[in-house]
Amino acid sequence: MRATSQYIVVVGCGRLGAYLANQLSQRGHSVVVIDVDRRSFRHLSAAFSGFKIEADGTEVAALRQAKAEKADLLLATTRRDNVNLMVAQVAKQALGVPRVIARVFDPEREESYRGLGVETVCSTVVAGDTFLGRLGGEEQP
Amino acid sequence: MTTKSVLVVDDEKNIRLTLAQALEPMDLRVETAVNGEEALQKVRQQEFHLMLLDLKMPGVDGMEVLRALCQLRPEIRIIIITAYGTVENAVEAMKLGAVDFVQKPFSPKEIRDLVSRVLSRERLELSGIQGYGGHIEWAKRCIQERRFPSAEEHVRKAIGLDSSRAEAFNLLGALLELRGDESNARKNYRVAYTLDSTYRPASANLERLSTLPRSVGRIALDTRDKL
Repeated sequence: MRATSQYIVVVGCGRLGAYLANQLSQRGHSVVVIDVDRRSFRHLSAAFSGFKIEADGTEVAALRQAKAEKADLLLATTRRDNVNLMVAQVAKQALGVPRVIARVFDPEREESYRGLGVETVCSTVVAGDTFLGRLGGEEQP
Repeated sequence: MTTKSVLVVDDEKNIRLTLAQALEPMDLRVETAVNGEEALQKVRQQEFHLMLLDLKMPGVDGMEVLRALCQLRPEIRIIIITAYGTVENAVEAMKLGAVDFVQKPFSPKEIRDLVSRVLSRERLELSGIQGYGGHIEWAKRCIQERRFPSAEEHVRKAIGLDSSRAEAFNLLGALLELRGDESNARKNYRVAYTLDSTYRPASANLERLSTLPRSVGRIALDTRDKL
């Protein structure tokens, strides 16, 4: 295994979570995916070689079951800002995960994440910027 | 030092792959087997120092592999892979010389650390045993060699040196259960659980002792009188 291989916990196995888990697993990382609904695991590809845990990621017990305290990185990718914030907070504060990245929809919430030392990816801003990028120079005054 | 060889036995392709990848940076020869039958076949044909063994497999399961190895190749060291939430019979496994467990999911580092520890246990010398950790490692070595009274002696020494570790009390509980002393076994499991409620082996042992009919617990003690 490559020296750069990391132990990564992904909370939420929707389209985004599954996409990340598939990609990271194929890149040789050791990946654990947590989702409260086992049907979500159908999004994982055949090439996914990590672990699946059916549990509520907002519960500390579920994160411990995933051995999140040993993780190098945790990604909170559910569709709900509140859930992601809760997961990120527990991972960072209680379990001491060195790097936590959370998906966030409401750009105004990014500030509260930063206070926790949690990195964010705001789907709204990312999508908005992509739209604007497509428009190219048309929007320039 | 000659290259040690490891056999990874799991019916899940993902787990075999993850384990083989995790062991890659170590100076080891790694082989895999998809089930108990194949594992025993490989053991008959080649020499292995260590086996990473899943207990839950269709057909010949992990416990049956352990039983067969006891006769066939008792010197092979075992690391048992367990799934979260299963209450495996750790005492039954211990009776067969398996004392190291790793629970899914595992990080590559966790696997490498455990494999190194198990392999380096072979190089321990009784005269060099020191401290809590030394006695625990020696006790585990004794269990692997089915020398249970010596194991118990060293676990007690370890507890004398540090009485705050759940692992030691759990190990003592298992050794007591192995020789039929269920009531004291349960007390030690309880101490382990009180010291660390997140230490799963202790809660699993407690749960098993309180749910299994007593007669089943007794069956596991056949070898006791021969010790």
